[in-house]
Amino acid sequence: MTEMISIEQLELKISDIKSQLEKEEGLSKADLQIKYLGKKGLFNELAKIIAKVNYQDKKSAGQMLNELKNFLNETIEKMELQKTKVKWIDLTQPGIKPKVGHMHPVSQAMEEITRIFERIGFTRARYQEIDWDWYVFESLNMPKSHPARDEWETFFIDAPTDKKLGKIVLTTHTSNGQVREMERLNSKAPIRMINIGRCYRRQQDTTHTQMFHQFEGLVIDKGINIQHLKGTLDYFAQEFYGPGTKSRIRPFHFQFTEPSLEVDFSCHICNGTGFLDNEVKKSQDQRNKCKFCKSGWHEVGGAGMVHPNVLKAGGFNPEVYTGFAFGWGVERTYTLKEGLNIDDIRLLYSGDLKFLEQF
Amino acid sequence: MNILIPHKWLLEHLDTKATDAEIQKYVSLCGPSIERIYQTEGDSVYDIEITTNRVDSMSVRGIAREIAVILEQFDVKASLKPSNIIKNVDVDVSPTEMLPLPKIKNDPKLSKRLTCVVLSGVNRNQTPDWMAKRLIQTGQNVHDAVIDITNYVTHELGHPCHAFDYDKLMQTGGEINVEEAKKGETFSTLDGETFTTVGGEVVFKNGQNEIIDLPSIKGTANTSIDDSTKNVLLLLESIMAEKVRFASMTHAIRTTAAQLMEKNVDPNLAEDVLLKGIELYKSLTDAKVASKIFDEYPGKKSLDPVKITLKRINEYLGIDIKLDKVQSILEQLECKVKASDDLITVYPPTFRPDLSIPADIVEEIARIYGYHNFPSILMDTPIPTNRQKGVNFIIEDRIKRFLSSIGLQEIYSYSMVSEEIALKTDTLENHLKISNPLTDDRIYMRLSLIPSLEEIIDQNPQTPNLSVFEIANVYPPIEGNLPNENLHLGIVSTESYPKVRGIVESLFENLFIEKITIEIVSSPMVSNVGIITVIHQGKKVELGGIKLLQSNKVAVEIDFAKLLQAVSTHPNYQPSPKTAVMVEDMTFTLPPKTLVGDVINSILQLSKIITKVELKTKYKQNYSFVITYHDDDKNVSSVDVEPLRKKIPKVLDSIYKAKLVGTV
Repeated sequence: MTEMISIEQLELKISDIKSQLEKEEGLSKADLQIKYLGKKGLFNELAKIIAKVNYQDKKSAGQMLNELKNFLNETIEKMELQKTKVKWIDLTQPGIKPKVGHMHPVSQAMEEITRIFERIGFTRARYQEIDWDWYVFESLNMPKSHPARDEWETFFIDAPTDKKLGKIVLTTHTSNGQVREMERLNSKAPIRMINIGRCYRRQQDTTHTQMFHQFEGLVIDKGINIQHLKGTLDYFAQEFYGPGTKSRIRPFHFQFTEPSLEVDFSCHICNGTGFLDNEVKKSQDQRNKCKFCKSGWHEVGGAGMVHPNVLKAGGFNPEVYTGFAFGWGVERTYTLKEGLNIDDIRLLYSGDLKFLEQF
Repeated sequence: MNILIPHKWLLEHLDTKATDAEIQKYVSLCGPSIERIYQTEGDSVYDIEITTNRVDSMSVRGIAREIAVILEQFDVKASLKPSNIIKNVDVDVSPTEMLPLPKIKNDPKLSKRLTCVVLSGVNRNQTPDWMAKRLIQTGQNVHDAVIDITNYVTHELGHPCHAFDYDKLMQTGGEINVEEAKKGETFSTLDGETFTTVGGEVVFKNGQNEIIDLPSIKGTANTSIDDSTKNVLLLLESIMAEKVRFASMTHAIRTTAAQLMEKNVDPNLAEDVLLKGIELYKSLTDAKVASKIFDEYPGKKSLDPVKITLKRINEYLGIDIKLDKVQSILEQLECKVKASDDLITVYPPTFRPDLSIPADIVEEIARIYGYHNFPSILMDTPIPTNRQKGVNFIIEDRIKRFLSSIGLQEIYSYSMVSEEIALKTDTLENHLKISNPLTDDRIYMRLSLIPSLEEIIDQNPQTPNLSVFEIANVYPPIEGNLPNENLHLGIVSTESYPKVRGIVESLFENLFIEKITIEIVSSPMVSNVGIITVIHQGKKVELGGIKLLQSNKVAVEIDFAKLLQAVSTHPNYQPSPKTAVMVEDMTFTLPPKTLVGDVINSILQLSKIITKVELKTKYKQNYSFVITYHDDDKNVSSVDVEPLRKKIPKVLDSIYKAKLVGTV
């Protein structure tokens, strides 16, 4: 009686032949073909077995052998290709980087700020850096010699004063874009502007540069209220600093907004606690105070509901329209990002490649 | 303005058990910001930022009043203690010992109030410890009691006061005339500095027209307390705020008194300050009240009421706040409130002149109600579609990304430059000048980005082959108007000219701008300067310039507005050629100073089947060109190319004396 062979046994034999081929080294293509696919090759030897397969399994066995033949053919081809094309390389050798430059951090911040605000319907604008006193102060409810002007250390241009518009100044804030935007739109709502531009103030230390950038939001329409301002600020804080960020608004005073607000974001260095240690039991004066913030918060900038006099200056009826505005420094907002730790804002404008190349 | 308020001093005016941390947290949310708490002389001292409109909070009592209202909102018990100032002051000396008041002539247009009293026999006692401690805690110097009392009461109650040396004042004639100074008068302050008036400063003068005080700002030497002072005239005046500011700013005398008085301190406070001052002089310097109290108050008036509707308040706040809540907040802030139907009439207390329009009332309601209690939502109003013309931030960002990706470093340099840098671009007269520069390297508004960028490259000698760029404005002046603000793209590089030109060419390709041409500026004054031009919609547009700087750096400056005209959002798509293309190299020896751009153009012009000529390599005077032959209609064959192959060397020889290397 002939010894019968099962499909499982056949499968085993097939896989033996496959792995034997894969381990082959040193044989040429022709030799491999003879060894595996030749008249007396391994394949033909195996194919003879089919006689010993049960009648009902013959079809599957045939398919399996067919598949093996294809595999042997393809693999021998592939092994030949490998032999001719592949040469050894050292995968541990260091990479050679293409020469790349860097976008300035302020540009990166402005791009991000723009994207955040555009997503909620703000339109980016840019207005004069050198402007009339009227747009920078007077139309913003800051009459000449008002004490509020002290906070804006102003550069003046050596040029004649205009009877109506006053002196020519380097704008101290992007708020000069408020009345200009209202004029551009012929005093027609809706306004939802994000104005990003260069500003100048007569001060220079580790947290101030004579030139800096601000972004100014202005929204005017019927039915705009404090909640919308709060919503916009919260949205920005979460988008720009990440979901953990807390923001708060507090009363403040600006001549061109009423009510006026100061906007704070929680300090990432002390996690908004104001202290660098966790020893809550110690009395306040014994604890290690955070030097980067004011009691857990960073003042980022100002905001408020547009003052009726400013709406009037821009041709809007303050009885019908309301609006809000906010203005923050790009540099300050950016340097508060977690882990940046830029302790001297002047670096941004130093042109020092060792600094700039890190961005 | 910041004010330092010690906790224990505060508790003399405020009844509360709140801790310093609670006070800081709650008050910062609804009122002035308590920025830090210091520990000084054994007590917590609040460092509080007071906004310029709230000079009423620039005192211990003023802060106590604010804190009382705010803590109550957080269910922390707090109340303002009633004033304990002794209201009735009698003359302490016998009629013969009484000292006459000076002859006072006020001008109601210049001072709203003037009140004073003579205090005799002051002893120059040491300032008691408790007062010295508080002065130190609030960052003030300690002298002796006669001087320190004035600073102490000012800090406690918020109205500046001044102690004159009574005898010196009487020696100058015993007159106080409130007047505006004329131009060219002089006065010397108690620290010995002499000033000349510009005219319009409010001053006290004696009968001989001499200035004897700079009221609300600083005392003058001729009437100030000195070591021999025996009798004191304690005086408070209320000079018009704008006049105080004018004199203080003009002469840069920025005393605490001036900084308070220029912000409209309530003249009603003067009475309490005077009385408290008398009390302290009596107890600390053994002074006797030697005159009746003089008080002229022509400027006394109540503030105008402010009318607002409940509807308006709720429009601003976006919530439905009830009338009784509005009323209770305003009354806690010491406003009187009359409400009929929807209309609310608010009568602010005299110390709150900042409450003058409806929006001011909205602010008071909002902050005391608490901004933290408002919902936070985004607008559901229409989104504007009307964009600003002449700007394209997408293109700006694209250029920045592209240039930085191919190895250039973006720079932000100052718009203001030094005289030396300005002169590299144009004469100083052609620049806008800052009349009050902070530093002498930032005086002129620049007309070109190139010198600034060149300077930055020079400051980074450690980086070889450096290319930097900036997109920023330049400011050509216009007489009688604002300057132009022209956005420029500047590039400066230490790389070779072909490399920098290549940067510009690939940038323009990225912006889908058609091929650029460099037109050489031929003038005896300039060399190595080219104008970058493109053909846009059939017209030649000059976009800017490219030049070799004296330092051998290559500089490019492009006018952004013109660039915007030429850019496109997409390429002018060309299907790939259906007929065969023939490419071959030809090398020529060109005589020195031959313009290779012209040579290329000459080859191109020879036949319309010469579609592209590229400079492949250059070795000494040998230039190898790659010439592409292509015809849309048929495959180009040797038969077509053969005559051109012969023609090219012939033509180049005749125009440029160019010699073919090898044979064709």
